[in-house]
Amino acid sequence: MEINCETIKHLADLSNFSVSDTQSKSLEKDLGEILKYISQLDEIDVDDVEPTYQVFEMENVWRADEILEQDATREELLALSKEQKDNQVKVPKVL
Amino acid sequence: MKYTPTIGIECHVQLCTKTKLFSEVDNDARGKEPNSCVSPVDYALPGMLPRLNGEAVRLCILAGRAMNCEINAISRFDRKHYFYPDSPKGYQITQFYQPIIGAGFVELPSGTRVRINHAHLEGDAGKLTHFDTYSLVDFNRVDTPLIEIVSEPDIHSAHDAHDYAKELWRLMCHAGITYGDLYNGNMRFDVNVSIAPEGSDELGTRAEVKNLNSFRSVERAVEYEIKRQSKLLDAGEKVVQETRGWNDATGETTGQRSKEEAKDYRYMPEPDLPPLHLSNEFIETESKKLPMMPRDYREKFGGIIKEDILEILLDYPSLMIKLNEIDEKYITLVSNLFASVLLAEEKSAEYLNDLPTSKQLSDLAEMNDKKELSSTATKEVFLKMFDPQMKGKDAKAIAKELGVIQENDLGALEAIVDTVLKKPETQKAQEDFRNGEEKVIGFLVGQVMKESHGKANPSAVQEILRKKLS
Repeated sequence: MEINCETIKHLADLSNFSVSDTQSKSLEKDLGEILKYISQLDEIDVDDVEPTYQVFEMENVWRADEILEQDATREELLALSKEQKDNQVKVPKVL
Repeated sequence: MKYTPTIGIECHVQLCTKTKLFSEVDNDARGKEPNSCVSPVDYALPGMLPRLNGEAVRLCILAGRAMNCEINAISRFDRKHYFYPDSPKGYQITQFYQPIIGAGFVELPSGTRVRINHAHLEGDAGKLTHFDTYSLVDFNRVDTPLIEIVSEPDIHSAHDAHDYAKELWRLMCHAGITYGDLYNGNMRFDVNVSIAPEGSDELGTRAEVKNLNSFRSVERAVEYEIKRQSKLLDAGEKVVQETRGWNDATGETTGQRSKEEAKDYRYMPEPDLPPLHLSNEFIETESKKLPMMPRDYREKFGGIIKEDILEILLDYPSLMIKLNEIDEKYITLVSNLFASVLLAEEKSAEYLNDLPTSKQLSDLAEMNDKKELSSTATKEVFLKMFDPQMKGKDAKAIAKELGVIQENDLGALEAIVDTVLKKPETQKAQEDFRNGEEKVIGFLVGQVMKESHGKANPSAVQEILRKKLS
């Protein structure tokens, strides 16, 4: 997969980042090199190997449906956001 | 030109678990302050890990069985990435590759079958409220468990779309997996509508109308789309594949500004949640907990309750459970009483929130059966059973309090008849009756009823009168 300025723009749009032209150039180079490094894995033949979803062989891990007191309060959690209003998190207008 | 519409429906159902899908906080945020049902997991704070709610897995099995679906032994969770303030994680945990509920079908009251492609378990997003220059986010709904039910495109009319939505709602309510409160968005429908020239093998381009929260809006949105798309095709234009919004006030759908590029959710397996591997035994044990479904009630009560009445009562699962507890010989009477309350008395569904016990109902039906209550009195007592003042009292106590118990004691009735027959104003009628004027018996029965203050059993009175006057 080739990383060009369109790919960078697409990824930035998906994450709502603004990326300047200079940043885009250096990201193109960096991401391209990372992908090239990772793509060495393509040389391994995995046709007969089950995909690995989990590295631990766990399954059916679930909990009881019981309400537990939380150690963080609403106020403490809200305070983590940049802005609040009426006990809600205030964000720039989105549609 | 004539067109055949093809409709597929996706439905999100909120599960009525006590806690959320991935955190141990209250899942029922109705009437609660914004951001009061949240945990560090819902906020996706660094290091927080989701913990799956086992009850949601059990409810999935019930939901699946309600729709005649296979339950998949192995299912997994995946991340669906998108950036929006309603999701602190930056992704939704869903089941993209291996959902828990497999293929099945829903049968509509008309007999039409709509196949289910699959249904998957996922977490809901938070709620955004938009203002002039900013938006506010409430995370109470983050990771409320949802089942998304995906139908095959087996629906071909607005009417069937309505019936499918309603039947799904009934199935989920009877299965007891959701509160089914449509007003509060417990079930939301997305409809995919396309049209193709009649007889054509190919499907047309589809438009998706999102976020419908009533059966009526599902029906109207489909009607509108069929009309809109027909007009476009008739004019030689093309239908654009897009997401459209529904305006309930105008009854129209409008195209929503969509980004030019196709959505790219970059699905990947959720590394924080181990897969589910359900044994046959577990699936069977849980499946057995499925309560009676509309199809079971139709089979059981089909011959006893009139079809149109049964279809009305099926909207009320708790009422059906009650009916099922009552002796079969009283079912017709009790179901008619409920239907009359819902129809003639125009009582709302809330009226039925707190139902009389099956014992109260059986006693009432028995009193009616023994002619201790006239049909009018039976209904009067029935209505009083919902009265906060009388609630909990047994049928007999209420009937006594209302003074409507019929006199069936033959000795007592005979005494009243004798009194009436002695009255001067009844002499002529008695003579007329003896001379063969049959219809004056009604007048005489009326007089006895009056004398008994309406408590005499009219058919018993008539019998006594006929004996005495013969």
